[in-house]
Amino acid sequence: MDTQAFSRRRALVLAGTAGLAATLPGCGRGFGGKGADDGKIEINMVWWGDAQRAEFTQKTLDLFQTANPGVRVKTEYQDSSPYKDKLAARFAAGDPPDLMAMRFDSLREYADRGTLLDLAEHAQHLDLSGLTAPARALGEVGPQIFGVPSGLNTISFVVDKALTDKYGVTIPNGDTWSWDDLKTFAAEVTRASGGKVYGANFEPWTVANLLVFARQRGEDFFTADGRLGATAGTITAWFDLTEGLRAAKAFPPAGFIDQNNGASPAQSYLAKKSIASQIIPSNNLLGYNQACGGNLVMLRIPGETTRRGQSIDTPALWSVAANSKHPMETLKLLNFLINDVEAARTAGATRGVPPNRAVAEQIAPGLDADNKRATEFLSALQNEKLPPSYPYPVGASKLTNILKTIGTEVEFGRLKTAAAGEQFITEARKAIAG
Amino acid sequence: MTTAISRPRRRQDRAGYLFLLPWFGGMVFMIVPFFASLYLAFTDYDLLTPPTWAGLANFRRMLDDATLHQSLKVTVIYTVVSVPLSLMVALAVAMVLDRGVRGLAIYRSIYYLPSLLAGSVAIVMLWRYIFGYSGVVNDFLAWFGIQGPGWASDPRYALSTLILLHVWTFGSPMVIFLAGLRQIPAMYYEAASMDGASGWKQFRSITLPLLSPIIFFNLVQSLIASFQTFTQGYVISNGTGGPGQSTLFYNLYLYQKGFAEFDMGYASAMAWLLLMIIAGFTVVNFLAARYWVFYDN
Repeated sequence: MDTQAFSRRRALVLAGTAGLAATLPGCGRGFGGKGADDGKIEINMVWWGDAQRAEFTQKTLDLFQTANPGVRVKTEYQDSSPYKDKLAARFAAGDPPDLMAMRFDSLREYADRGTLLDLAEHAQHLDLSGLTAPARALGEVGPQIFGVPSGLNTISFVVDKALTDKYGVTIPNGDTWSWDDLKTFAAEVTRASGGKVYGANFEPWTVANLLVFARQRGEDFFTADGRLGATAGTITAWFDLTEGLRAAKAFPPAGFIDQNNGASPAQSYLAKKSIASQIIPSNNLLGYNQACGGNLVMLRIPGETTRRGQSIDTPALWSVAANSKHPMETLKLLNFLINDVEAARTAGATRGVPPNRAVAEQIAPGLDADNKRATEFLSALQNEKLPPSYPYPVGASKLTNILKTIGTEVEFGRLKTAAAGEQFITEARKAIAG
Repeated sequence: MTTAISRPRRRQDRAGYLFLLPWFGGMVFMIVPFFASLYLAFTDYDLLTPPTWAGLANFRRMLDDATLHQSLKVTVIYTVVSVPLSLMVALAVAMVLDRGVRGLAIYRSIYYLPSLLAGSVAIVMLWRYIFGYSGVVNDFLAWFGIQGPGWASDPRYALSTLILLHVWTFGSPMVIFLAGLRQIPAMYYEAASMDGASGWKQFRSITLPLLSPIIFFNLVQSLIASFQTFTQGYVISNGTGGPGQSTLFYNLYLYQKGFAEFDMGYASAMAWLLLMIIAGFTVVNFLAARYWVFYDN
């Protein structure tokens, strides 16, 4: 009896390796079966996102298919978390997509295992000359290129001005504010609202946030050669910072934020008006501003005055499978997505600012207010000298879970910040090495 | 004489196999992954490159994998607390319904409903609404001036909240209990009443012994299902097992290892360890059953 019931579970888990791939078409937009007999070459493109992004993406692909009548693009999408799991399953099943959105923290998991096409070898079909060096570096592993940023973004602090106006609190200057300024400002919001609204919150376990903080302290969280560069002291200081904010009531009390809450703007505590500010990826400004009532102000991350921590990043890279059956057509599509002005205009800013700077400048005037604001925010940063971002080393995708587990212990006072720093470094080293 | 016995028996056998047919059908699709996972358990397999033989390395790694131990702890606590609780609730409700409530079919359906819904996203939303930091429970506590914790977001309480959710889905054992209670002849109770036995005495001496095979069946089923808990944990914590690792069920960790951390060899080894554990518990269960399960035939 046990074997029977159990093997059903086993089959679920294991057959998932091959079977999950089969469920993919059901979730996305399919265009008929494979090998349709109309003589067209079919390429498969997968990515994550929502229905709004799907609409923009489809319009862009329609443009491409009109210009290339011999090619049909079959595209599929889902939410980011199931996407991540299913992508691995598709490779395991021997049926990888031709073109795929690749998480920045997973690039080397795939690239180092030889599953991705080295784009540096195809420079004649894929023009990356319009990208700045830091933008190109996002997909580079040594002399090889395994990904191209689908757009550019960075993290930013958004403040709900409707709330700060209501409680008469002045928003600090986002170009010069320090972490102490954040504490003073956010605590003031909490106090002025009588505890109805907490001044700020951000996730201590989001690696992208910690990365900026580490650079501000003069450390590369990940080094150029793919090692862990952060010290235990920095991790401890990071938790001292967040717990200091909590103690000052700038942050909500432990347990107020449900870390299992969904990640969409509409589900956010900012949209629920229980907090007045948080960190978001800059390309999500439109979505958050819509969900929060249209009064969000975008600031830089605090503490950027002495040493720079912010960098130009990407919400997702585009990668091509090494054993794609139609690499030429796939590269053509990728080149179109990156360098074509009309393609960029149609896609808007759903994946951030176009990586090709000339294209980005051309489409900027036509963007709606929020996207224009996010674009200007990023362009200003692009004009400054910022530290580069390197692809995360293999194993880095485990760090979020490690940081989350330790962060929770710290939040509920069950682990001292000094011990947390040591513990993180030990576990992170193990994750990256093994 | 012999043919007279064996003919109906053969017919019975045939009917049995007929009922088993769907299982054999499903087995065809299971047998390959089943043995594949046994092989993968002894390999290093990252999903992207072919597996390489690793011998017992995966099993050796389990010894000092603190996260694995945590996930075992979570799963065992969950099972040991929620299985008896949910069986007790199921039996209690079944006995009330067995008293001959009007509209039994409706009640039965209503109580069964949570079993179907427990893994759905709608329930997750409802659960947050009730047990969140600013949820219904804490609103209620606030009347008495108490600021309750985040019942779902505090690692000290999150598992208890999930146990409550499990107990709430007592529908399927309840339906089986109800059928079992219907099988107990009313004359036993009539005779007992005549002799002046109290309700509790009747429950102890008639209901429990005659129902013990059903209780045993429900216990074995629930135990196996509980060890394999995945969906509830997955939807409630978005697949993270959070807050912290407080709701990291064994199967959730297995899933993370296999699909998110490119460690399918280890995940397969974990699956086989779970098989052993469940098999062990089930064997103990069957052995213990000799001392308390009473077959009335």
